[in-house]
Amino acid sequence: MLIPLQVLWAGIPQRFANANSIVAILPIAVAAVPVYLFRKGSPQIDFRVALFLVLGSVVGAYVGARLLKRIPDRELKLAVVVVLGLVGVKELLLP
Amino acid sequence: MSWRDAILIVGGFGAGFLSGTIGIGGGALFVPTMTVGAGISQAVAQGTSLVAIVPTALVSTITHIRQGNVLREPALWMGGGGVVGGIIGALVAVEVPGPVLARVWGGFLLFTAYRLASQALRPPKAG
Repeated sequence: MLIPLQVLWAGIPQRFANANSIVAILPIAVAAVPVYLFRKGSPQIDFRVALFLVLGSVVGAYVGARLLKRIPDRELKLAVVVVLGLVGVKELLLP
Repeated sequence: MSWRDAILIVGGFGAGFLSGTIGIGGGALFVPTMTVGAGISQAVAQGTSLVAIVPTALVSTITHIRQGNVLREPALWMGGGGVVGGIIGALVAVEVPGPVLARVWGGFLLFTAYRLASQALRPPKAG
């Protein structure tokens, strides 16, 4: 939601929009996690699984963020389109 | 370390890479990595994904700031507004049936993908 807000409405280039988006997700995630944890129907958490995911994801996040500058705006936009399209179809068909 | 742990690390790397380049939280890949790749239940996968997003977004954020990819003012406004929206959204999300929420979200994503694709594929203006 944060990416189209910037690119389609505010005219911010894709590279900055993608980076701004993940910067803004950080406080949102930090604020939302306790709400999910302590409200009714809270999801369960497997911290061992989270640890292994994070071992890979922090490396991936570093590599991805370092590469961002080198990817042209058009290709970056099309990559966002592919990811949003795939997730959108999945959510519609297999909610 | 088992094969399951290795799948989690590889899936985590992919989710982190998308987080760093595309700017998404990573849940879109964390959750299927756990459910399809490691046979973990949907409920546990969603809760665990939320926790894994925080350190991933932290590394992306620090790296992006150091690389000069961040426009501080829009990021601060979105982050501040997002905290309020995130708390309200989380409170609403636990009350609304999951499939309804997922379909509305899916429709929004497809519409957004269409708008972005139109912009990316538009021929550049002459001059």
